[in-house]
Amino acid sequence: MKSNALIAFVAVAALAVAANAGTISGKVSGVAGESVVYVDAITGKTFPAPTKQPVMDQKGLMFQPHIMVVQQGTTVDFLNSDSVAHNVFWTSIGGNKKLGHNLGTWPKGEKRPFKFDNPGAVSLLCNVHPEMSGYIVVAPTPYYAQTDKSGAYKIENVPDGSYTVTAWHEGAKNQSKPVNVAGDAKADFTLSK
Amino acid sequence: MATHHRITVILLLLLLVVLVSGSSYAIPAFSRQYGTSCSTCHVDFPKLNDFGKAFKDAGFKFPKDDETFIKIPPVMLGAPAQKDLWPHTIFPGTIPGLPPIGLRFNTFFQVVSKNRNNFNLQNPGDPTLQQFIPRTDFQPGFFSIFMAGNFGSDIAFWVDDDISVGGANSSGGLGDGYLKFINIGRFLKLPTDALSLRVGQFELDLPFSQARSWNLSGWDIYGQPNIGIIDPSFMQNVNNAFALSNAAQGVEFSGGHTYRGYHYSLAIVNQNTGGTPGSGANVPPVVTYVSDSNFKDLYGRFSYRFNLERDRASRNEIQAAGATGPRDHTYLNLGTLYFYGRSVQRFSGLASDGVTQTVVTAREPFYRVGGDFSFNYRTFNLFGQFLYGRDQNLLPTGLPLPAAFVPSRAATFSGGFLEADYLVYPWMMAIMRWDEVTSSADRINGIGADINNPPATPFLSPFHSARHRFTPGVQFLIHANIKTSFEYQIRPQQVVYATGSNVRLTSPFRTNSAVAGLEFVY
Repeated sequence: MKSNALIAFVAVAALAVAANAGTISGKVSGVAGESVVYVDAITGKTFPAPTKQPVMDQKGLMFQPHIMVVQQGTTVDFLNSDSVAHNVFWTSIGGNKKLGHNLGTWPKGEKRPFKFDNPGAVSLLCNVHPEMSGYIVVAPTPYYAQTDKSGAYKIENVPDGSYTVTAWHEGAKNQSKPVNVAGDAKADFTLSK
Repeated sequence: MATHHRITVILLLLLLVVLVSGSSYAIPAFSRQYGTSCSTCHVDFPKLNDFGKAFKDAGFKFPKDDETFIKIPPVMLGAPAQKDLWPHTIFPGTIPGLPPIGLRFNTFFQVVSKNRNNFNLQNPGDPTLQQFIPRTDFQPGFFSIFMAGNFGSDIAFWVDDDISVGGANSSGGLGDGYLKFINIGRFLKLPTDALSLRVGQFELDLPFSQARSWNLSGWDIYGQPNIGIIDPSFMQNVNNAFALSNAAQGVEFSGGHTYRGYHYSLAIVNQNTGGTPGSGANVPPVVTYVSDSNFKDLYGRFSYRFNLERDRASRNEIQAAGATGPRDHTYLNLGTLYFYGRSVQRFSGLASDGVTQTVVTAREPFYRVGGDFSFNYRTFNLFGQFLYGRDQNLLPTGLPLPAAFVPSRAATFSGGFLEADYLVYPWMMAIMRWDEVTSSADRINGIGADINNPPATPFLSPFHSARHRFTPGVQFLIHANIKTSFEYQIRPQQVVYATGSNVRLTSPFRTNSAVAGLEFVY
């Protein structure tokens, strides 16, 4: 009997939370291809780091996927699937050159992890194959989305409130704008290079 | 040879040394095929890094898992399963998905020393002998086409041809053109890459490629022939136009790797001694004739490269695993080469009866032997070559129409080069280089005349029998496929004598030159 009451309580609480969560959707235009949109840091609020470790692969002389978006605090595994030597390095995170790093060299089939504790875009490079390029966008909150090729995006389960939302695109200037979430909200961005 | 012709020839040679030996190639077709940058294979194109050497060794493909890197799939010339039907079907192969064509163009600007017109002092009153050399000059270089790739089944190909040279139309020629059958030793159950076969026209497997040198001017010793023009006293009778950098026609067996361990090559090639091939009027050739003798020259090279990484696994990889990323190995490469050939000279002479006119032939065996080394530490590369050449010298007897030949003092030369390349940045390479050639043939023919033994007909000539050249340079990659190069050539000393005497008209001087080059490949 007691357990039934507990289940009912949890269900009501979950519904209440769901009722206060909305979505942010819209379109990123002015640029071609996929972009990233994320909610900026929220004052006074922190989020636990995800335990899942996504994989950024080096395969066929390419970073795969080309763009990856992760929450701040995520550990990314860098895998070399090629039978040629690679390395991974970046010169800055979010424009901060002090956060540049070189992961070194490792053989085919092995991974090397790195935890991204600072938000911002990370431009991945390989020092033996200068044509290789990849991006990791480290979002400060768990509220982020990657657009489709047309630029459309949807960030779900965003609690009601006022936020700053930023759009990022490879080679374009970031654009941020305030968004009030009360249920569903819309935010369109027009980026330029 | 008349004096003014000698001057012209030698000055043109100075220019051609810059233009011809600056021939170099990077292969944009591979960039397209694999979607990768020139710097994957080149340090400062066309200088190869360790991966580029492995790529070339493997027959212009990635040494492992090549198919996973190709962005433009090849065209199948038969399904792979057709192999099972062979010999009842044509063995399947592939051709590159895009025509593997690369193009290259270069242009030059040069500045020559103020004393460049000193040679006009010889014949001041003769306008036909006056050679005016401009202080500065722009010079168009090559427009070249080159193709390379792999036809599957480990059959590699290469063809390069200069479409135009020096701004003139169609004045170039075939450089290398060959098929290379990689790792044919597998059919004999030999170790992997122990035996490959190359057939066609190719540059000999030199320790440092002159045809694909990154320097503006070639290494002097590789371009050194052994020519002694017959003088009245018949001190020397060699006319051997062979130089190691000449293109050779023939077959070559090779094995090993150039990025680690042993490497060897053995080539059997046509003679290339400047003779005139017969026309084949009575016995028409199936194709044509290139050489003028039955004898085939032989070339052999062996080298061993010690990769010096402490980590054993890294030592055996194509590239070393550095702390911040893959890089070229720290290595010491030691090698030796040997070439054996016969130079042929034919003269109008007399038969043994001393009356009947006939053609008498002098066959003068010659050899070249050399040693080389290359040491690399990170972005610093120090390398050198020593070469000794010896030609048997057969002097004709029974002048004016010779009937026989007697051996005389051999015509020899020696020399080499030492070069240091330092990659200051990935886009900037500084070069220091020293060349030397000491040639008895040069000396006897007056090129190295001294005051005690003046030439009968003085001309532009080094002052010493040993020709030293010091050549600092710097090269910049503007893009991965665009390069600008600068070279300052501190040339050997020369002196001008009055015609027919030992009176010097000048003090020894050097006709130094500064050359800037700009080239691109696409």
